[in-house]
Amino acid sequence: MSDFSASKAYFERAAKVIPGGIYGSKSPGFLVPGHFPYYLSRGAGSHIFDVDGNEFIDYLCGYGSQIVGYGNPAVDGPALEQARKGDLLNQPHPAMVELAERLVALVEGMNWAVFVKNGTDATTLATSIARADTGKQIIVAADGAYHGAANWCSTNVFPVFTHAEQRDVRFFPYNDVAALEARFAEERGKIACLILTPYHHPTYKPQQLPTPEFIQAAERLCRDEGAWFIIDDIRANFRLDARGSHVYFGAHPDLVTIGKALANGYPISVLMGSEKLRKTASSFFITGTYWMSAVPMIASLATLGEMERMGGTARLAQLGGMLREGLERFGREAGFGARVSGPSAIPYLTFDEDPNLYLNQRFCAAMADRGVFMHPHHNWFISLAHTEDDIARTLEAAREAFRELVPKTGARHVQ
Amino acid sequence: MKVHFAQLNQEEQRVLARLKATLALRLAEKAWDADPALRQSASARGVAMKIGVGGAGSSMSLDVPAEAVPEPEKARARRPSLKLYFPSAEAAVKVLSGAKGFAIPLPLRGGAFSALGFFKRASSRATELLRDPATPAEIKAKLLLAATLFGLQAIAGESYLARRMRIVPDGTVRVRVEDIEYIVIKNGNSIKVQKNASAHATTSAGNFLEPTLADAELSFADYRSAIEVLSGARQAVVALGSGQVRIEGLLPLVQGLFAVLDRLSWYLGVEL
Ligand SMILES: Cc1ncc(COP(=O)(O)O)c(C=O)c1O
Repeated sequence: MSDFSASKAYFERAAKVIPGGIYGSKSPGFLVPGHFPYYLSRGAGSHIFDVDGNEFIDYLCGYGSQIVGYGNPAVDGPALEQARKGDLLNQPHPAMVELAERLVALVEGMNWAVFVKNGTDATTLATSIARADTGKQIIVAADGAYHGAANWCSTNVFPVFTHAEQRDVRFFPYNDVAALEARFAEERGKIACLILTPYHHPTYKPQQLPTPEFIQAAERLCRDEGAWFIIDDIRANFRLDARGSHVYFGAHPDLVTIGKALANGYPISVLMGSEKLRKTASSFFITGTYWMSAVPMIASLATLGEMERMGGTARLAQLGGMLREGLERFGREAGFGARVSGPSAIPYLTFDEDPNLYLNQRFCAAMADRGVFMHPHHNWFISLAHTEDDIARTLEAAREAFRELVPKTGARHVQ
Repeated sequence: MKVHFAQLNQEEQRVLARLKATLALRLAEKAWDADPALRQSASARGVAMKIGVGGAGSSMSLDVPAEAVPEPEKARARRPSLKLYFPSAEAAVKVLSGAKGFAIPLPLRGGAFSALGFFKRASSRATELLRDPATPAEIKAKLLLAATLFGLQAIAGESYLARRMRIVPDGTVRVRVEDIEYIVIKNGNSIKVQKNASAHATTSAGNFLEPTLADAELSFADYRSAIEVLSGARQAVVALGSGQVRIEGLLPLVQGLFAVLDRLSWYLGVEL
């Protein structure tokens, strides 16, 4: 186990001046305390370094935002150059026009782009535009899908406000056509939109790809109801298909939200929409002090180019495929039902025999002890900065980690 | 922000009354365990009594054992000798918070008034033990843990929490500090607390790993850590980071219980 004394010292100081020390999804309790760092100081390519000097091969990638690697000069060069000239100016920088043009040309079916900061800004704006346009109120979403931290979609525990703001959100189990049909039937004439992630990536659970029937049903139900179909691609964007993950799964949304990997970690997200919604979007008062800052837009333009240069989605699938194959093989060899779910570029490991996540926690702790940062409860990400050598070292560590679990669990070792 | 009793809706008033009664009874029980003098002051047969609150559902009972009672007499000794009846939730909340209010002691058999006397002494002793810096950590931890867990049980069914409880997975959580052990069973809208967790079955997944694992395991590093967290001196999320609390297993279940815990402290902050 590594030394995390500097991390812990910062945490103790933080606890005095910051609610919870570290709040939200980065709270230490969401990882395995004692095995993971709390504070990181830098990243380089596919590696991260903590405040105690420990180094990890990183499979969280800034929760997906790192797609071409930490400190990639092709992105940081132009971004830092603009930072020196001024980031947040009174009026937008021309990079905004260029980026909107690039994205409209790239993302299939989308004719306009609105830039915001966080993914939550984009999903909230998308549902608001759908409500304004239809004059209807109900939002339909999948159980366990994460669309951000705003009150309409958050899992905050304060019913005082979440009850009020989630009163018009209806849930159904992802991929369940009959349940989706039932929701649409129950709320006929009242549904503004259906919001779905391109595939299901719930926390704590195996990931699920959509069935073609599910996507067809979603589109048909939206069409019949006169509701807008939103694909929330904040987490998956650019890792499955640069034209949008909806293309990868054969879906035809009216609105698409993109964030995280959009600018390799620079703060920017985008809501894109089809021609049919341009007028309503134009009538919205859309603003935020930092929403038009120049640096992230320049970083995004550079990221788009760098992604292609580094091999794009084909390369991500290749690296992710190696990782998936190796993890499942070594897991099986150690006697576990280790299963990697989701697309290869956004994998998540679970154990068939342990829905309670003990094995996830113990495995990821053992990996962290060996210098590999894999989240026990949140899906992982491959970046274009990962190398075959990273994957090989990861698998070597995994082989040991699985073996280390065996005597603790009574799993049969089958070589 | 402080909430006043009069601002609560009827359901909340009832839930608070049940919560106060539960805490009073459980703390009296723990004070009995902790304090030999208190035990001596009670009837040699032990104490069995009930609290009822008008309109707030079935009554809640206290049953502290009397080792000395010969086996044939045990069943009788365990029959409640007293029902302490509060005609309204407000009366219960007031009296059980130490304020003036209306309560009716209903004798059910002999020994009723000695039981009432014991209950009063035990309640104030429990409060003293919690306040006194000289109380041994083990005793304080026991009192706080019982109050917290049975407090969760008392409020879990309320409708305010229902939406939250719906998205929390069902299952068992073992809560442990040193050699104190409870198992908390979350099932739909209900939470049940049982002592001595090892005796209770766990899930298939738990069995696969270690036969005694619950769906989730929550343990405090020591009594001191338990006291700090359970008394509210240290936030649970911070204690997790500093290693004073450890959670393994089905995290969303434990996180869901933390949400109920927040609601519990909201109730305990209600002013009269
Ligand atoms: C699918 C999805 N939508 C929305 C969001 C919210 O994005 P942000 O955290 O940038 O507000 C996330 C973040 O994880 C996400 O994964």
